[in-house]
Amino acid sequence: MRMYKRHDRSDIFIHWFNAVCWFLLLVTGVGLIHNPALNPFGDAFPQVLRGMVGGGGNLLLVHEIIGVAWIFGFVGYILVNPRGAACFLREVFAVSPDRDMPWMFRKLVLMTLGEKALKAMGQPSALLPQGYYNMGQKGFGQVSVIGGIVIAVTGVIMLLSDVYFTADATVAVSWAVTLHYLAVGVVFAGLLVHIYMAAISPDERPGFRSMFTGSVPEEYAKHHHRLWYEREKARAADGE
Amino acid sequence: MRKAQYAMVIDSAKCIDCKACVVSCKVANGTPEGFSRNWIKASEPDFAAGAKPRTHFQPGACMHCEAPICVDACPTGATYKNADGIVMIDETLCIGCGNCIPACPYGARFRNPQKRTADKCNYCPERRAAGLLPACVDTCPTKARVFGDIMNPESDAARLLEQHKDHVVQVINQKSNTAPHMYYLASTAPVDWTHEAVMPASMATMTGVVDPVVKTLVGLSGLGVLVMLGRQLLSGHDSSHDSSHDSGPDVHTGSDVQAGQAHKQQTDKE
Ligand code: SF4
Ligand code: SF4
Repeated sequence: MRMYKRHDRSDIFIHWFNAVCWFLLLVTGVGLIHNPALNPFGDAFPQVLRGMVGGGGNLLLVHEIIGVAWIFGFVGYILVNPRGAACFLREVFAVSPDRDMPWMFRKLVLMTLGEKALKAMGQPSALLPQGYYNMGQKGFGQVSVIGGIVIAVTGVIMLLSDVYFTADATVAVSWAVTLHYLAVGVVFAGLLVHIYMAAISPDERPGFRSMFTGSVPEEYAKHHHRLWYEREKARAADGE
Repeated sequence: MRKAQYAMVIDSAKCIDCKACVVSCKVANGTPEGFSRNWIKASEPDFAAGAKPRTHFQPGACMHCEAPICVDACPTGATYKNADGIVMIDETLCIGCGNCIPACPYGARFRNPQKRTADKCNYCPERRAAGLLPACVDTCPTKARVFGDIMNPESDAARLLEQHKDHVVQVINQKSNTAPHMYYLASTAPVDWTHEAVMPASMATMTGVVDPVVKTLVGLSGLGVLVMLGRQLLSGHDSSHDSSHDSGPDVHTGSDVQAGQAHKQQTDKE
């Protein structure tokens, strides 16, 4: 079967590098929040995790090291594959509301309430063809990009707080804490859906596999990313 | 569980404002110039006709409160109330965000300009580990400051408290009562120098707005995933799929590189 290339080697690398960093940063980060009014997973989780690494200070250090590595990973990716990064951003932020908004709404209803519910709302159940990314992917991509930038910037502010910041500048640090938490929370909410869709939902196996191999079969490309598929086909025909 | 409550019981009438405690604290804890972990407050003498103008001196420091607002303000738990009742700062965990500083009604905290983290009295743990009293207590020539575990009836502090239990005063800010564990015998002055605790807007936003928003979003998305998973398990596959040219899931950070050549169709693979 004809295969359509979706991801370069550096794309695959940065995806899984990001995934591993996110996992570690999330676990250590949740362990770093310890406040009677917050404690996302209760009082015990931070205590246990801190105990495991020999204290909260060590946990903070581990979080900081992984966080810096995460930022450098992305800088490295952009240096190695600037076109890929630009292409990703272009695709993710290219929204055509007339096509994408109904797609998003219908898809959401179909996935959760089902086709009957969609019909009952007087909506057709056909989904408009999508491009390189569908609207769900674009939405999560946008949240990840913006959230990632907020997380990185606020993280660096917190990292430098007890190195460079003076007492009058702590208002920036204090807000960095709040924004860091907000951005991580929002991206994590999207991440749950992303993981389900990509790794658990069976129809998306080819898409999942392409995150290792780099390409998807023609059938999948046609079915899931019709506009992109047609674009690629036309391009291939031109080139031949 | 709380095993102890170290506290200071102070007879402020004995204080002669020599400030030896302030000096010895600075020496013991290497506090930078312009900052101090403890203090002596002085009352305004009353010069009205007929009054006897006199000044009352009041030694103070962090009061290791029962309901410390500084702990509520700290996002990381770097400021915490220890099992021995002492409110501690874990310097390695403190990110120097400064949230805790306005949250103390006594102004007991400052941001150490050298370490760039929060700083305040911690009852000299290094000295206590060596069997010594906190520096200020040790130094006080009139023994105005008495230190000990008030949960242990044998301690000097507990005995003194018990002896004077009918006339012990605490300096409390009515709007921000932190239930301080600093007890003054008989009476003390001045008492009107505290300020209402200020929770930084960023922290109030984090606990009051951001936290519920984040938990709701994550909850909703988790619920959505469970519903989708339920449908998948019930119907055997993703039900939305039949009727659509849809797509799903592979949202990745990846992209198509080299747009031009990348999609030259790949070799015919299986
Ligand atoms: S006196 Fe201030 S710094 Fe000390 S425990 Fe009470 S609120 Fe916290
Ligand atoms: S500055 Fe205060 S609130 Fe901020 S992390 Fe340090 S102890 Fe906690």
